Amino acid sequence: MRALTIAATGMSAQQMRVETISNNLANMNTTGYNARRAEFSDMSYQQLARAGTISSADGTVLPTGVQLGLGVRPSSVTVQLAQGSLSQTGGDLDVAIEGNGYLEVTLPSGQSGYTRDGALKRAADGQVVTSDGYPVVPDITIPEDARSISINAEGELYAYFNDRVEPELMGQLTLANFSNAKGLEAIGGNLFLETGASGAANVGVPGENGLGTLRQGYLEDSSVDAVREVTELIEAQRGYELNAKVITAADQMLAATTQLR
Amino acid sequence: MESSGYVTLTRQTGLMKELQAVANNLANISTTGFRKEGVIFAEHIERLGNGEASLSMATASVRNTDSRQGPLTQTGGTFDFAIEGEGFFLIDTPSGERLTRAGVFTPNAEGELVTMSGYQVLDNGGAPIFIPPDAEAISLAADGTMSADGLPIAQIGLYQPVDPTGLTREDGVRFASEAGVEPIEGASILQGFVEDSNVDPVSEIARMIEVQRSYELGQTFLDKEDERIRSVLQTLGR
Repeated sequence: MRALTIAATGMSAQQMRVETISNNLANMNTTGYNARRAEFSDMSYQQLARAGTISSADGTVLPTGVQLGLGVRPSSVTVQLAQGSLSQTGGDLDVAIEGNGYLEVTLPSGQSGYTRDGALKRAADGQVVTSDGYPVVPDITIPEDARSISINAEGELYAYFNDRVEPELMGQLTLANFSNAKGLEAIGGNLFLETGASGAANVGVPGENGLGTLRQGYLEDSSVDAVREVTELIEAQRGYELNAKVITAADQMLAATTQLR
Repeated sequence: MESSGYVTLTRQTGLMKELQAVANNLANISTTGFRKEGVIFAEHIERLGNGEASLSMATASVRNTDSRQGPLTQTGGTFDFAIEGEGFFLIDTPSGERLTRAGVFTPNAEGELVTMSGYQVLDNGGAPIFIPPDAEAISLAADGTMSADGLPIAQIGLYQPVDPTGLTREDGVRFASEAGVEPIEGASILQGFVEDSNVDPVSEIARMIEVQRSYELGQTFLDKEDERIRSVLQTLGR
């Protein structure tokens, strides 16, 4: 009775969909978060009668044969890369990326991490770091006596001092882009790691080679669309019920069989 | 003489297969580009000797793939493509070229457009499609022409099997066409949409109830048959 196990694969697929949706909804207000979408594909097929099998002595063949599917499996959970809307925060180290690209940070392990969360902060020594305290690449240090700072669209960070009219260039933020940004590995904390699937990081100046530009005083909102997620949730819930119904039906058919004398 | 039980048995095993098809359809209700499958029963006639009437049994002989268009869901993804109308995308797998309607693609590390299983998507000339990594915006015209920042880079090919009945299903919502494929015209491709499964839950549940009740009917028949033989044995054995 394969119908039981097939319907079970259907139920676990819908359950995984609900898990993806709940993670999206939980991250509705996470800076720079992109919604995920679970993709499914059918499993292998059981060949009962292969198409092209000779069906008579005259050499006629079965045009389509009989194939029965064995259920569903998750094929991928993909990041729906989309620009989130920008919220004005007024923070002088809040930078939103408009367009493609990720800020590069150095993780405690020494590895490079990538993030779209531009809520940068100043460490005790003036170094520009992320909210978790990881330094941004390239290293930029803001002097203690800087009156204010400004970051332009190309990522150039200028510091203004009380005793000078002209601002001083402290460094330039760079962005990294990937051939396949969907192939990055999410490690939480709004951070991603490079993988074999993503390709190597192409680091460049914002605004060049297809990279986005930076906007000071803004943060990128989560790109989760609550309405879409809730409609998907309803679909997933009904899908789950339908598969449960198949299990009940298959069970009743089995019961009828066992009750035969 | 006692073949009525066997005839019912062929029907019962067939119904089991049909329930399996229904279960598979419902399990794939959220599978992008999935095509509903059905089982068609045919009469299988067994000749009996000595002027007896022939015996007709039911066998599941043909598979039926519903080629109706599934509903389109907007995802907004740059590389999410849905076909409106007939046709399939052509992808290159290790076991040969395969057709699919699941248009969820992504560029890989080398910049080639691939499916989520990592197989290259082919253009209208049968060549892989390369996406320039520094492209800012990729757009797709209805005829499948992809352009990066306004410059055309490739045209996604749409194909159809030479023999539509000769399609074999494979896992990963792929179809193999033994007779080969040919380009198709007249369909359009939409960017930012994916085609959902074309399984209609209402008709599947109706079919499931029908299968279930037919199965019960068969079981009742077998029960009655059993009773009849029992009473024959009791009467004659007295």
